[in-house]
Amino acid sequence: MARYILRRILLTLPALFGLVILTFVLSRVIPGDPATALAGDAATPAQIADIRARYGLDRPIIEQAAIHVRQVVTGDFGRSIFSGRPVAEEIAQRLPATLELTFVALFLATALGIPLGLLAALDHNGPVDHLVRVLSVGGLAIASFWLAIMLQLYFSMDLDILPLRGRIDVALGMPPRVTGSVLIDSLLAGRLDMFASACRHIVLPAVTLALPGLATIARFTRSGVLETLQKDFVLYARAAGYGRVRLAAIYVLRNAVNVTVTQIGLLFGALISGAVAVEAVFDWPGLGTYAVQAILAADYKALLAVTLVVGVVYAVVNVVVDVVQALIDPRVAEDHR
Amino acid sequence: MGFRRLRTTLLAAAIAAAPMIAAPAQAQQRPMVWGDSLPATLDPHAIFDVPSQFILLNAYDGLYRYQANPPQLVPWLAASHTTSADGLTWEFTLRPGIKFQDGSDLTADDVVYSFRRLLAMRRAPAAAFTPVLKPENVTAAGPLTVRFVLSSPYAPFLSAMPLVAIVNQRAIAPHVQGDDWGTAWLSANGAGSGAYRIVPETYQARVALDMERFPGHFMGWSHNQRPIESVRSRPVMETSTRVLALLRGEIDATDSYLPTDQVERVDRNPRTRVARDESMRVFIIRMNNRKPPFDNRDARLCFAHAFNYQGFNEIVLRGLVVRNAGPNPNNLWGNPPDLQPYNFDLAVARRHCDAARAAGAPLDREIEIHIQSELEQTVQAAQMFQADLRRLGVNLRIVPNTWPNITAATAQAQTTPDMWIHWVSTYFVDPENWIGQMYDSQFHGTWKASSWYTNAQVDALLRQARGSLDQAERDRLYQQATRQVVADSPDIWVYNTLNLRGLSRRVQGYQFSPVGSGGEMRLMSLEN
Repeated sequence: MARYILRRILLTLPALFGLVILTFVLSRVIPGDPATALAGDAATPAQIADIRARYGLDRPIIEQAAIHVRQVVTGDFGRSIFSGRPVAEEIAQRLPATLELTFVALFLATALGIPLGLLAALDHNGPVDHLVRVLSVGGLAIASFWLAIMLQLYFSMDLDILPLRGRIDVALGMPPRVTGSVLIDSLLAGRLDMFASACRHIVLPAVTLALPGLATIARFTRSGVLETLQKDFVLYARAAGYGRVRLAAIYVLRNAVNVTVTQIGLLFGALISGAVAVEAVFDWPGLGTYAVQAILAADYKALLAVTLVVGVVYAVVNVVVDVVQALIDPRVAEDHR
Repeated sequence: MGFRRLRTTLLAAAIAAAPMIAAPAQAQQRPMVWGDSLPATLDPHAIFDVPSQFILLNAYDGLYRYQANPPQLVPWLAASHTTSADGLTWEFTLRPGIKFQDGSDLTADDVVYSFRRLLAMRRAPAAAFTPVLKPENVTAAGPLTVRFVLSSPYAPFLSAMPLVAIVNQRAIAPHVQGDDWGTAWLSANGAGSGAYRIVPETYQARVALDMERFPGHFMGWSHNQRPIESVRSRPVMETSTRVLALLRGEIDATDSYLPTDQVERVDRNPRTRVARDESMRVFIIRMNNRKPPFDNRDARLCFAHAFNYQGFNEIVLRGLVVRNAGPNPNNLWGNPPDLQPYNFDLAVARRHCDAARAAGAPLDREIEIHIQSELEQTVQAAQMFQADLRRLGVNLRIVPNTWPNITAATAQAQTTPDMWIHWVSTYFVDPENWIGQMYDSQFHGTWKASSWYTNAQVDALLRQARGSLDQAERDRLYQQATRQVVADSPDIWVYNTLNLRGLSRRVQGYQFSPVGSGGEMRLMSLEN
């Protein structure tokens, strides 16, 4: 197993290097010039050229790429062209918010999606199956920004039971920063009031973000269970007198869920990219909104760093998924020997 | 564990946890929650845009400041100033006894340091000064006297003075790294004398910033019996969320660009209101005068008569803007009192189009208009224009774009779009901010001068106005230049903005000024 894990990790390195190069090239070929914005309203072309030279934007693209790769390898993403602060510092401020939201959404999607998919399969073509089908089609079809606004209007404005935006009540301030996750930091600080507020604040964005994932997981689980139910060992288990619940929950689900686990890994990437719209509507100060601001300001250093960090997180999650798959089904690791 | 013991344990745990839940809410009075944008950096010399004015007005002070509407330039850190007869030497005398927020004295040396820092960094706010001011020509003529020697007469010098925040060099010095002038540190900290002190540990770029009142501010607090003690700036990104947050009481103020379709809704709510103030922010549709067909005056006049000003201003924007006839805002000096705007008249437009076609102007080619995708009004204006131009046989293609892309493209005439839409905001209150920088050909290559208009007579008038210290003469020269520019029709001027800010009714003392958009906290109080 250790060799399998090591191999999976090594395989991600070339992919990450390719990502560094690709994102750099893309960021430099798209139009937009940060020097113009930095120079201000009345700046002359000479002043703009001067700023371009100071930030190294006038050097050959190969030289800029080499500098960029060297900086990334040493963990230095440079300074944001606009704020003047280290990009790594700005990302460290934003990343925990996105991870917190994504993990809670993924938890909701998985905790509800797998049982729903199982129930739908067990009630094949029955009322539960139809209901789950409607839910999953709806979950995939509904635009997240629309759903977000609808949830705000109903739960915050009409019912007045959940907050509209942000991570925590403004009057409470933020807990002392340890991990950057308000949920965890408020518990570490022993501030139950902050924890309760953070829980209330994450409900609507997490539900909005979770819905498409939930639909995907439910659909994959359903088809996996339906396929497994046709297998000979299930027929044998039935004949041997195993109870319906025990058979489904232990034997069928374990064999059926492998495809779902792969989907969860892929979903993680989709959730992070989907978080852009959700973060904007709910004022969730994560990487998504940071990326949008970087795009609008042509702050290419920030943009490169965000892309790379998301790529690394995605790669790590996929390694974890591979390991989980191997734990569920040891044949996966065996096949890679 | 028996049931009784379990119940006792749970009760004890609940009693122990109760203070943790209740205490903070009781101890804190609700602060002002400001929902407008925050800048990308807190360094006042590194950026100059509308959000950065919030920091400039509250955490810092300048030698002069704009107050009220129409904006009056009033002495601020400076008590007075003198100008030499040739307009080159300016001396400012500081008020005595001014303290920075750390308790140290604010002296002429700090002013010199601030200007030299600004000029050395050469970032956005410096652009107004670099053509006429060298760092070594800013000197301290005494502990409270600062001398500026300009390389050529520049009348808007005083008008641009509020752009420059005076920073505390002693606070910055320990944090300077190499030649960065302490930018990295100042981007997330404060070093000013302003009425509100930045709380650095609360700052997250563009996300959150807390500020606390500075009781020792040099202007004192006698003007405000119930000043706001704590300001929590929490920008709300999405318009719909911003409006809902105001209605729900989660924020006390929106930005000052409330969509016109939300005005009635905010006004109807018993807890909120809309502050309406005529600003100095002109909505403009640019035409690239170097590219055919816009190098032909008839073609430009055709377009100027083909935009439905009334339909856009009165119907789309519900009459919450003011028609603006020329490049300067209506409410600024330097405008001819009898200046007539172009009217929407497709028959007149057709005559000009025919004349332009007869002269060989390629009006049959597809013409691109670049809009700023995230700004809905630019999209609406382009769509309306597209429909009316189609009736004249002109094919207008709408190209979604972003501000950095468009402004980068305006560096050269060939890459500047055929047309694009933007506003010109108030950076300093002088016609130089509008007509001066937009239509003097020496600014070609900047986004403000992106129509690439050239008229030697206008250039001469604008340069004369820039160099004159006689206000009456400047007024006359700008009026003359404005008449000529409007007659040449290089662009399409649509409206002057009515700033619309949603406010909680507990906010009192809100005073709008086009510079800073009413974000000056020292004037406001809160009813709890």
